[in-house]
Amino acid sequence: MELRIRGISKTYANGVQALKDVTLTIPAGMYGLLGPNGAGKSTLMRILATLKEPDSGSATLGEIDVLTQKDEVRKTLGYLPQEFGVYPKVSAENLLDHFALLKGIAARQSRKEVVEALLRRTNLWDVRKQKLGGYSGGMRQRFGVAVALLGNPKLLIVDEPTAGLDPAERVRFLNLLSELGETSVVLLSTHIVDDVSELCTRMAIIDHGEIRLEAEPLRAVADLRGRIWRRVISKEELPALEREHAVISTKLLAGRTLVRVHSGTAPGSGFEPSEPDLEDVYFSTMPRRGGGGRG
Amino acid sequence: MEFREIFRFELVYQARRVRTWIYFAVLFVVAYLLMSGSIEAARGGGPLANAPYRIAAATVISGLLWVLIAPAVAGSAAARDVRTRMDPLVYTTPISKADYLGGRFLAAFVLNGLILLAVPAGILLALLVPGVEPEILGPFRLAAHLSAYVVLALPSAFAVTAVQFSVAALNRRAVVSYVGSVLFVVPLSIGAAVVTDVLHMPTLGTLLDPIGYMTVLGFLSKTWTPAEKNTILVALESSMLANRLLWVGIALGILAVTHIRFRFSHHALSTRSRRALHDDVVDRSAQFAIPDVLRAFGFTTHARQAWAIASTSFWTIAKSASGLLLLAAIAMLVVLIGPIPLHRIGVPQLPTTARVLSLLTAPIAHGPETPWGLIPLLIVFYASELVWRERDAGLSEIADAAPVPEWALILGKFLGLTFVLVVWMALLTIAGVLVQVEMGYSDFEIGLFLKVLFGLQLVDYLLFALLVFVVHAVVNQKHLGYLVALLAYAFIAFASKLGIEHELFVYGSDPGWSYTDMRGFGATLTPWLWFKSYWVAWALLFAVIARLIWVRGREPGLNARAELARQRFTRPTAATAAAAVALILTSGGFIFYNTNGLNAYETASARTERSVEYERRYGQYRSIPQPSLTGTSLRVEIYPGRRTVEIRGTYTLANRGSVAIDKVHLGTSSNVETGAVTFDPPAALVVSDEALGHRIYALEKPLQPGDSLRLGFDVRHEPRGFRTSGGDAFVVANGSYFTNRDWLPAIGYQRDRELRDAGARKKYGLAPRAALPPLDDAEARGRRMDRLAFEAIVGTDEGQTAVAPGALRRTWTELPSALRQAQGGAGSAQGGRRYFHYATDGAILNEYSFFSANYAVHEARWNDVTIKIFQHPDHAANLERMLRGIRASLDYYSEQFGPYPYNHLTVVERGSHGDALNTEASLIDYGEGFSLFRPIDGPRGLDLVFFAMAHEVAHQWWGWQVRPASVQGEVLMAEGLANYLGMQMLEKTYGHEHLRRYLSEVLWASYEAPRTRAAVPLLRADSAFLGYRKGAHALYTTSRYIGEERMNAALRRLVEKHGSGTAPFDSLSRELAQGRPLPTTLDLYRELQAVTPDSLHSLLHDLFEANTFWELETERVTAAQTVAGTWQVALDVRARKVVVDEAGVETEMPMDDWVEIGVFDGNGSDEPLYLQKHRIRSGKQTITVAVSPALREGGQPARAGIDPNNLLIDWQMDDNVRPVRVQQ
Repeated sequence: MELRIRGISKTYANGVQALKDVTLTIPAGMYGLLGPNGAGKSTLMRILATLKEPDSGSATLGEIDVLTQKDEVRKTLGYLPQEFGVYPKVSAENLLDHFALLKGIAARQSRKEVVEALLRRTNLWDVRKQKLGGYSGGMRQRFGVAVALLGNPKLLIVDEPTAGLDPAERVRFLNLLSELGETSVVLLSTHIVDDVSELCTRMAIIDHGEIRLEAEPLRAVADLRGRIWRRVISKEELPALEREHAVISTKLLAGRTLVRVHSGTAPGSGFEPSEPDLEDVYFSTMPRRGGGGRG
Repeated sequence: MEFREIFRFELVYQARRVRTWIYFAVLFVVAYLLMSGSIEAARGGGPLANAPYRIAAATVISGLLWVLIAPAVAGSAAARDVRTRMDPLVYTTPISKADYLGGRFLAAFVLNGLILLAVPAGILLALLVPGVEPEILGPFRLAAHLSAYVVLALPSAFAVTAVQFSVAALNRRAVVSYVGSVLFVVPLSIGAAVVTDVLHMPTLGTLLDPIGYMTVLGFLSKTWTPAEKNTILVALESSMLANRLLWVGIALGILAVTHIRFRFSHHALSTRSRRALHDDVVDRSAQFAIPDVLRAFGFTTHARQAWAIASTSFWTIAKSASGLLLLAAIAMLVVLIGPIPLHRIGVPQLPTTARVLSLLTAPIAHGPETPWGLIPLLIVFYASELVWRERDAGLSEIADAAPVPEWALILGKFLGLTFVLVVWMALLTIAGVLVQVEMGYSDFEIGLFLKVLFGLQLVDYLLFALLVFVVHAVVNQKHLGYLVALLAYAFIAFASKLGIEHELFVYGSDPGWSYTDMRGFGATLTPWLWFKSYWVAWALLFAVIARLIWVRGREPGLNARAELARQRFTRPTAATAAAAVALILTSGGFIFYNTNGLNAYETASARTERSVEYERRYGQYRSIPQPSLTGTSLRVEIYPGRRTVEIRGTYTLANRGSVAIDKVHLGTSSNVETGAVTFDPPAALVVSDEALGHRIYALEKPLQPGDSLRLGFDVRHEPRGFRTSGGDAFVVANGSYFTNRDWLPAIGYQRDRELRDAGARKKYGLAPRAALPPLDDAEARGRRMDRLAFEAIVGTDEGQTAVAPGALRRTWTELPSALRQAQGGAGSAQGGRRYFHYATDGAILNEYSFFSANYAVHEARWNDVTIKIFQHPDHAANLERMLRGIRASLDYYSEQFGPYPYNHLTVVERGSHGDALNTEASLIDYGEGFSLFRPIDGPRGLDLVFFAMAHEVAHQWWGWQVRPASVQGEVLMAEGLANYLGMQMLEKTYGHEHLRRYLSEVLWASYEAPRTRAAVPLLRADSAFLGYRKGAHALYTTSRYIGEERMNAALRRLVEKHGSGTAPFDSLSRELAQGRPLPTTLDLYRELQAVTPDSLHSLLHDLFEANTFWELETERVTAAQTVAGTWQVALDVRARKVVVDEAGVETEMPMDDWVEIGVFDGNGSDEPLYLQKHRIRSGKQTITVAVSPALREGGQPARAGIDPNNLLIDWQMDDNVRPVRVQQ
């Protein structure tokens, strides 16, 4: 099973071009879609989740044409949108059962089993009888995952799932996802680089609706080995440094500025070589914006 | 500062929204259309086009529309922050609650005030458009427009905005403002109407009316004269000002409560769920594998999904505040107030299922005319909430990505709403049965309840609900969808006012159905079913459209939606759409074939034009001499099964004039086919105008004065399919009824076909025609009134009884075989035929009816007269009462006014709704509703059945023997006298107390009496109120003053001079033979004057020649016992007399009249201790009378007063008598 995206473009009525000729091939496993807010991640994910029509392009999931065979896609789709609400006066168990039926689990007994397993899996079993209106953000997010996991989807699309989770919740959540990545296509969008580096076997970086990089995180990091240099400077030195070198990120460190520079050769005095990480990949891919910080 | 900024921001924010301007535009157009309608109405008479009343009416109607469409303004101002999740940002700024709420509310109110400016703008534009004739325009009065806006529109806007704002702010949901708005205005308005019309407390009712709608359109419209409507500024009436103050005050109170209750806190649903849930941090999740279960995506699963969505949808609505709780409350209200409309003037009606159902159902197209107009509004709300449920909860993207087909989603939601409506119908059924139980009725026809509520009414609601779904699917914007759905409802309700009359063009409409005990559904179900299948087909097509454009996820773009629709337009969808279109075309085609092919379809304007054309072309023959009808002999074949009637008839026509007649004009009816007409001696057809129904025959030999001729005709009535008005209601399987005026040819130019509406006459250039000719109109008084010998053989199906006027000479049955031979196979093949030969033994007027039904026949006698009563077998409960009334009346009237002219009297029940009675010569008929009255025996009960019979029998003298000229005062001569005699009979049979009850409670209070005293004098009476009520009262007063003997002598003289007499045919049309014009009220008045002593002539003048009102009041009564044991009773009374003209101008007249003074004891006896007439002058005075109650038990003066029997016309009847204060 492979999700192939070919030349998808989408322009909104207000003239904003959200996607420009996006082409990606996403194999089974966890796939990270990394990009800043407003890069077009959600638009792409909604298109893949059958909720939006692109202006042009195509997308196929195995044999299924995502854009025209929506019903087929939906049968094997799990979708966790970036923002969603719940019926506040319904219990988690009831709503999950309702969605199980909507996802085609018609037999009552099967539904019961699946709902129980998912509630336990998402650690919501003890609060299953409570109204969703009383859930905390993390619990609500886990409930969303439970819904998305109903029916063992072959395509799981999770849009910025870790935003708003506390560190412990985030870890648990990512663990949950990683188990799924073994058999299905899991497309995870995020603007947090660590999410990708911890989980994904493949990734793409998207900005202004365009794919800037499609790679395996480990290999991308390895490719930068020997090209990342760091130096601690004072704030006043930064403009001059930026004129001379390809600064990929700056970061405050104990009142001074830590600058990372991309360079094939040693950039000169004061710079020391540094071990690259995925953030370097990300920031070196992104066009540099004035004063952009790191992390 | 904060306040100003909050206000400014909100105002600018909403003023820039398209929605705000849509509201403005809608109100502008509606106000314009309403005022245009007013101008059109003014052309037809009544108040001027720009009368302050009309401006006020347009303002309050537009105001109601504003209540329904625009709550979003206040709702958004109050709750937008929560919806947009801005609340944490806003609530944490250092603003005070007062600034925040005050600024937002004021902005909402100002916005609504600006939106409502559309109303005066629309009104003014309509008045300024050229083409309004100056004679229907009064002077321009800025105050009329200004006061309507400032006093009617703005305070309503303030109060309603306060409610909308408060419910939305406290619930933190904008949409609640719709519910709050409707639930605030609609029940209170209905309540105000109930208080005014049912409880007769107009002052309280006016005060309770939240937006003035009911007061202006109900109470004032009925009680103000045109002159008052032209002059008085509604808004500045003191009752209206008090109402405005009250509601502004209540609004301020509501706002204060809102200020106290509102909290700047993060949105949490309830205190219960606010408690944070324990979140288990120990991760045991990995132990649980997710089982891989079988999933299915076939039809069965989709059906189960639809069912599950239906069930959650149902519970969502059911559990909401405006759900089952509200519906149950409405049903409870039905149980509580249901018995009120089941009483007429205090007399209970049998709450049969048919009767109760008539209260529980209303077509959607009747809209706001009935309280049930609330249900479509609820449907709009429910459907909108369901369509937007996922999106409102933020769950739509998850739900929309689920493998559920669109049809299952839509069907599920629709089914959910269906369940709600089914529950509502069940609640109504229970309420209906409880109303029956409450009134002691136990013949429950549950089957009929189910048939009507679930079979007929539910279909209407479901069709409408589907429309709302489709509207939301298409519009895809919640508030706009609301608005469009409401406009669709308004279109359905007011389509005919917009000139769209054909039901094929008004969604969901049908020609209506009716159910009565006698007729059942009659022929109304077939057309109903055809129309409904036509609309169901449309609904199916709409459902397909909804499926095609149903939005999943976020896709507002039109192109993308079109693309989606293309994708979804699969083969089965196409097949469904094709089937729907095919069904629309076939059922629509069949309906069109019926309404416009088989039957002539005529719009209202075409009908108007036809009568204009008739008058233009044949009006020249209005006054030409025509022969008189002196005899009618008919052979009527009624085939109830086939709903067909064939009539062969012969008229005998005589020339009673003084010139020869060479042409006979014949008006033929458009309800029937009129075949060849033969004349003997012969005549040639010279003009045959089938379209206008007029034929002219030239006699070969002119008909000389005194000569006569015979005219033969045959007429056939056969319903062909159905019309837009539904099935033809004349002939049905059981309960057929038709009159000669409906079908039979009539001699001469038919004046009653002329256009009456003065404005329309003017528009078409026709000469003005007085609604009622003046008293001295010689032409109207000299108009011929044919009196004829009548004979008919009426045949009907075996098992039914046919009824016509006259004595039954013979009845026989013909077997089918004999019939076939005799008629060459034309008759009905099954069953035999039963024939009835009726003939009158005295002349009757040319107005008679035929009936055929399965009747129970009761025969009784009074002297030589055979009384026959034909009733539906189950409707015989009042038989004895009716007979008692008929016999007592015949006794008294024949003794006083001369003999009853026939030896037969027929009383027959019509198969129809309603309780109206109708009298023709020797025949009384009544609607089924009349048979449902169950007068309570005893002193508190009014015997309405007895009274009605006394009234109708009186018409045999007053109306049929003495036929008044059709001029002003006619209604006093016919109905006034009949009601007066009915009162006399009540008093004679049941005693004075019974009558007093009728007089005080019924005659004035319970009927729809105008609340204005402006009117013409009784001699020129021109309204039902002046005839039936005030006229009857004045006649009764006269008889009490001059004595019954003298009164009857005067009436007897009238019969002798103007009656048709009893001799059958030799002295027909005596008034004509003697060249005497028909009598008017002046003749009655002359006879009354002749018998009245001089001292009371001024009273007669006050009663009949002027529109006089007395204002009599007893302020204080004291009594002291004398040593002799008698009592000295002193009454402080106040008296005043005014004459009120037509425009309502009052002139005080000096009073010097004989008025009764009465003293009564406390033991409830209606025998007074003292009752004498005293001379009473204007002003305050003390009257002292001596009373000797010694001989009576407990005999001490307890009550005393002036005019205790309410003889003089006094608006305020209850202050005449006061309790006596005994001085020791």
